[in-house]
Amino acid sequence: MKLRPHGLINFRDTIFLQNRATRSSTLFRKEGICLKKWASLALTCMLVMSFLAGCSGKNEPAKEEAASGGEKKTEAADEVTKFSISLRTLNFGYVEKSPDINADKWVKRVEDLTKTDMDIRLVPHKEYEQKMVQMFATNDIPDVVQGQGGTTGKEMAGSVEAGVFMPLDDLLKEYGPNLLKKIPKEAWNRMSYQGKIYGIPEWLGNPSRRATWIRKDLLDQTGLPVPKTVDEYLDVLRAFKKLGVENPYMGRQDFKYADTFFGSYDVFPYLSQFEEADGQVQPKFMDSENMVKALSTYKTMFDEGLINKEFATINPTTFKNTILAGKAGIWTMNANELIQWQTQLQDTVKDAKLEIIPSPVGPDGKGGYYLYGDVARSYFINAKYKHPEKIIQFFDWMVSDEAEQFFTYGVEGENFTKEGDKINYKQPTDAQAVDEERYRQAFLWMVQDTTYNKGSLNLTEEGKSLMSVFDNTLANEGRDGIEFDPRLEALKKNPDIAPLSDTPPPLLITHMVKMVYGQEPIDNWPKVIEEWKSKGGSDVLKEANERYQSKEGVFLPRK
Amino acid sequence: MSSRTETDARLPASMKRKTNKDNGIWRLIWKYKALYLISIPSILYFLIFKYIPLGGSIIAFQDYNIFKGFSGSDWVGFAHFAEMFKHYDFLRILNNTVLIGLYDLIFSFPAPIILAILLNELRLVMFKRVIQTVVYMPHFLSWVVIAGMSVAILSPTTGVLNQLLVLFGIDPLYFLGDNSYIRGVLVGSGIWRDTGYGTILYLAALAGINPELYEAAQIDGANRWKQTLRITLPALLPTIMILFLLHIGKFLDFGFERVWVFLNALNTENGEILDTYIYRAGLLSQQYGYTTAVGLFKSVVGLVLVMMGNLFSRKTTGESLY
Repeated sequence: MKLRPHGLINFRDTIFLQNRATRSSTLFRKEGICLKKWASLALTCMLVMSFLAGCSGKNEPAKEEAASGGEKKTEAADEVTKFSISLRTLNFGYVEKSPDINADKWVKRVEDLTKTDMDIRLVPHKEYEQKMVQMFATNDIPDVVQGQGGTTGKEMAGSVEAGVFMPLDDLLKEYGPNLLKKIPKEAWNRMSYQGKIYGIPEWLGNPSRRATWIRKDLLDQTGLPVPKTVDEYLDVLRAFKKLGVENPYMGRQDFKYADTFFGSYDVFPYLSQFEEADGQVQPKFMDSENMVKALSTYKTMFDEGLINKEFATINPTTFKNTILAGKAGIWTMNANELIQWQTQLQDTVKDAKLEIIPSPVGPDGKGGYYLYGDVARSYFINAKYKHPEKIIQFFDWMVSDEAEQFFTYGVEGENFTKEGDKINYKQPTDAQAVDEERYRQAFLWMVQDTTYNKGSLNLTEEGKSLMSVFDNTLANEGRDGIEFDPRLEALKKNPDIAPLSDTPPPLLITHMVKMVYGQEPIDNWPKVIEEWKSKGGSDVLKEANERYQSKEGVFLPRK
Repeated sequence: MSSRTETDARLPASMKRKTNKDNGIWRLIWKYKALYLISIPSILYFLIFKYIPLGGSIIAFQDYNIFKGFSGSDWVGFAHFAEMFKHYDFLRILNNTVLIGLYDLIFSFPAPIILAILLNELRLVMFKRVIQTVVYMPHFLSWVVIAGMSVAILSPTTGVLNQLLVLFGIDPLYFLGDNSYIRGVLVGSGIWRDTGYGTILYLAALAGINPELYEAAQIDGANRWKQTLRITLPALLPTIMILFLLHIGKFLDFGFERVWVFLNALNTENGEILDTYIYRAGLLSQQYGYTTAVGLFKSVVGLVLVMMGNLFSRKTTGESLY
């Protein structure tokens, strides 16, 4: 799962709408000519006609498919491989503002380099899941479909099970040797369904993405050392409070990006966080002792004013704005945002200095946030597509050195110059060019290790220190658990008891927030667990244990 | 057609009259062919976008799978409905929906009527126009914006409303973080947004009242209050009844977005309604059959309410939708 944590997203589905509109308007014009006679009725008829045209539009994709299917055969002999591919816009400004992504110069360049002709169909970031389901339901499925993570995620809507896509094992052996070599086994495991590989993953080498951020300048003012344990963290927060920091610890709705201390006690109530206790598999939040400790920590913060009294209604935008206005001391954010936030924060607070420090450790001496999945994006090939080997080759190229240089630095002469073997690449500074670079490096480069962009970070000092944060600080922390993929059936039944990748089940959130606000005693936690069980949790436990015994779709903790 | 007219000639007179009547309808249609032609798009619109999709409701009785479609999915009969009534939270959510609907009916429905009558009493035309425009405005704001504003206004530390309360010596209240206030916030925000816009129809009806009635009342010595009670209200009654019946039909349709944007962990218990539940269970958890059943239940209740309300209204006031 690639989670874009902040900012409001504007979503459009221009492509589909535009196609539909132009199609019906040409028909409209054609029919209009023969209706000159009855001037008074012409308008009415045209209305009817355009209406009918709009309806008949539905049948057209089928025709198109048939037509392009025919073309494919002839092209097989030629060099250019034609295929359609759906891609989520990922909230990238460059993609969403592009009038026609298929006419984009970078897309054209990729096509030239790989001898392909892509028909990219953008899927709006915010409505991704719904649009994907719609796409499957209307059977208007492109040749290559981009998923997010495994084979059985919600966005896939059961399409892999239904046989919409083809197994790739043999093809990969023959046409994708570099893919098999470069992509780690964990990522391939995620792409398997009933022992067969169904998708090509864009992988995440270091799944520990979220980090604990601190205002280093403020910490220096307090004179305290970098905190390590929960108690030391609380002391720093208290010192921040004395300094007049409005939000010593930055809270947020539903504990999202505000779950630091649940990590210390290893009780994340999330989807991937099951554990084995007394021979039974159960969610980590059932560890009452540690859950009570974690909740008490939040309650202490709440009572002492170390966390905003209104954190239950702080949304992502307010969260970010408060931090960037210099009103927060410690918070959680994805580490890759570090350089950007540092720059933005310095616009308001000149002396601000951000640093990522190791997350607070709990009784077991460990801490950190939940680990992301091994797969960021994944690509599935339509079982009806005639030349899958060409597509495998296309993706195989993505992990080549040529591709790495192209996507990282762009084109020689235009974006960088070469002196012998040394590449001189000037990183763009104006917003538009930054957008374009990000688009080239992260969107168009479809298969890569998405931990960070090595070539680009290596160019600056900040970049190098960020890489060291990933390799030294983050690589050593993070909480993982037993995960079930495909998801447990019992969790699908009742959304109230089902956790998401980074949010607790709604039922638990209600109690957790109330306990921190003092509306319910924290010692009630065992009762909350009973309530969770009675509302369908028992079925979840039963199914989890059965699945665990039979080892079907079970992923063991990586740490 | 022509063979039919030939047989017509040989038929007895009594039967002939009937077919003449038939022909009458066709003749009428032919006579107003332009009007009928114009109405074709809207008839088609209702057929294609309203009536045909109704057929999709059959997935409420199926274990619907999008790859198998209507024809391939397994039939499960009333299982989804049984599951719905057995669901531990169903009563709570239905209770919320009914209560919020009821508050909406009691507080939001009369608000535009009162506002329209008040506006009608204003003398200065310019002032009236300005007020009208100002009260229309909020209707054009999206719920997301309204929720954002509400969070700011209702905030216990920085919100305007709570600062006012503190001035009067009342402790600040966390309006959005408390089960006991959420229904009030939901209905209140609706009143703020839509009252002004809702006055349009009433103002139109008020403009249609014959001024002579008021003049006669003045001569008889009725004051403004009496005039409102005896002339304005009775004149508005047909409009009120029609709008009331339409409102009743949407009794359980409080709306998804306007609730969703206000919900958080502290107020879900009293704020969650059927629409938000359908969204969570259906779209987020992809239980299409089950949530269609919940939606169908909601629609049937709405239909029954409209029919009952209509019957009641026809019996008592003589006004009805159909």
